[in-house]
Amino acid sequence: MSPEGEPVSDEAARLLAEIHAARGLLRTASDAVRPSAAALWTHVLREPGAPVDLALVRAIRTDPETARRYRALLAGQALAHAPLAIAAAHGPVSSRRIGPFALQILAGTEDAPPLLIVQTVGIRPPRLIEAILGDETRRLALPPPVNGVILLALDPAVPEASRLGDMLQDPACAVFLL
Amino acid sequence: MTGGYDERCAADLAAVCEGRDLSREDRAWLARVVTGAVRPNRDKPLWDLGHALAALARLTGATKGRDLVSLALDPGLARPALIAARLGAARAEGAALDARGLVLTGDAGWRTTWAGLSRLLALAEFLLTAEDLGQFATVSGWFGDLAAAPDGEAAAFLGKRLARHLAAYRNEHLPLATLERRFRALFGHLRGRTDFEDDDILAFWCAEMEGGERPGFRTIAEHFVTFEAAASLRGGLDGLTGAESLEAHAGWEERLDASLADLVADEPAEALVDLLAGLVDGPKILTGAERDDLGDFLRLEPFHRSRPLTTLRATSFGRVQSGLANRLRRGGGGPDIAERVACAEAETYPALAERVGSLAAHLDRMLRIAAALRVPADAEGLGPEVRDALAAAVADIRRVRRAGFDDPDLLTAGFARADAALLRLAEEVARLQRAVATLARQRPLAPAFASDRDVFARTFARAYAPEAAA
Repeated sequence: MSPEGEPVSDEAARLLAEIHAARGLLRTASDAVRPSAAALWTHVLREPGAPVDLALVRAIRTDPETARRYRALLAGQALAHAPLAIAAAHGPVSSRRIGPFALQILAGTEDAPPLLIVQTVGIRPPRLIEAILGDETRRLALPPPVNGVILLALDPAVPEASRLGDMLQDPACAVFLL
Repeated sequence: MTGGYDERCAADLAAVCEGRDLSREDRAWLARVVTGAVRPNRDKPLWDLGHALAALARLTGATKGRDLVSLALDPGLARPALIAARLGAARAEGAALDARGLVLTGDAGWRTTWAGLSRLLALAEFLLTAEDLGQFATVSGWFGDLAAAPDGEAAAFLGKRLARHLAAYRNEHLPLATLERRFRALFGHLRGRTDFEDDDILAFWCAEMEGGERPGFRTIAEHFVTFEAAASLRGGLDGLTGAESLEAHAGWEERLDASLADLVADEPAEALVDLLAGLVDGPKILTGAERDDLGDFLRLEPFHRSRPLTTLRATSFGRVQSGLANRLRRGGGGPDIAERVACAEAETYPALAERVGSLAAHLDRMLRIAAALRVPADAEGLGPEVRDALAAAVADIRRVRRAGFDDPDLLTAGFARADAALLRLAEEVARLQRAVATLARQRPLAPAFASDRDVFARTFARAYAPEAAA
């Protein structure tokens, strides 16, 4: 808008467009999605067995949109994750890859419970494992690796652990290593 | 105010603003950063964010992206005072706190205040959660790269990444090109003038209708609202864009930013729309039709005070045009296109003026009732006239045939919630009424409507000719 009445620069038009949009955004009444990202994030960071917000857990289980948002946060913070077993085999899966990690389940014997083995050679080892199958979620702490291998006994006497073992063998089970 | 952003963007922004319960000024700032209305450099806030996160990583010993994500999402850090309390007197190599805020030492002395830091964290939350968390993994990964080595170089690099990221977000969710083109056309239409008349708005709308987009008359008027607000700033648009001439003055950057902040935060109509939204529950103080009328009359604030003719045009013919657009979208229903473009259904200006009058009278009546519900007529110290007025208002309650007016408790509670809003609406409607009265003296409403109808009908007929013929 120069005194000579020359057309104003494109820059002025651009700035007005940006101001106009910002003013419009302030006027728009838009409902924020619930639960908030902050609440979901707190849940993502929970330690196994720690108290949880039950309403939040219910929302994740029953509302597909909330479940999707929760998984997006979980995946963003996981060392590795896999939505499905890559070899979508029929019947139980005894080994699968989660990103750079190899997971294996050794069947139990008469004297020993089944074993979950996570190979972590040369990579930062995960601390937690979370399995999601349908609306069921299990999260367990993983022990530190010994010589690059994490071993977790899926003791039938510990329902959480034994159920995790069952879920991991289902090809449809999503796995997050945190 | 429509256009320039999509629903996704509005929802992304609302999630952050509501989750952190941001003040109006902070919301305005965040909205400006998102749309890019920051000068001289729209990427500056992202550069600042990179440095703030680097300083925070050092001070809190964060080494992983998740630690920084937690800081950004933590509602316990959403207020300047909360951040100051939480970080206390933390100190680390390369970063420090002082009474005013955060300092990244050794890096050209980058610093920010507590208030600045709380805004930057809100921006971080926006970037992390935008697109309903669709980009979370990417952005939190970048935070992780910074946390691994939080130095000045990494901070600048993150700033660059985030700037590119936000630019891509704007491309996707902020269709600014149409607005930009329209403002450029508006400048061309005004040929360098910053003042304009109601008829400039009409003429510009007619010209725009020649193009393929067929913008609403109200949409075009909204552009003029923004243009007027920007042009009325000290120094006007030249001051906002001519950074070079300003550089000679100390503190020009802050002043420029303050001007932009005013432009967005002073955006006033939200308050009026909010007022109407707040009057939904409780006794039926306003009917749906009254609320719609008030919304249409006041939505172009401040034009209902300063440009009553544009307000009448937008209400009368804006409704005809939305009817046309709705009919085209639905592919049927109601009168056909050929009939609508003739504007036979358009409400005349005298009829609208009369409705403004009845709305003003109704709001006045409701205000009297509100006063009577607050102040008992036998309260001490009231003059006889006031006493009579309050008693008359109490008696009037029984004559109001609307839902909720027969339940004294509901009524008292409902009015107690609504009376501040009522007062403001009554004030604004009274100002519109005065503006329309002044207009009517200068330009009698009936002939003004008749000649406007010719213009709108002709413009509609030409613009919607293909559909009208179908």
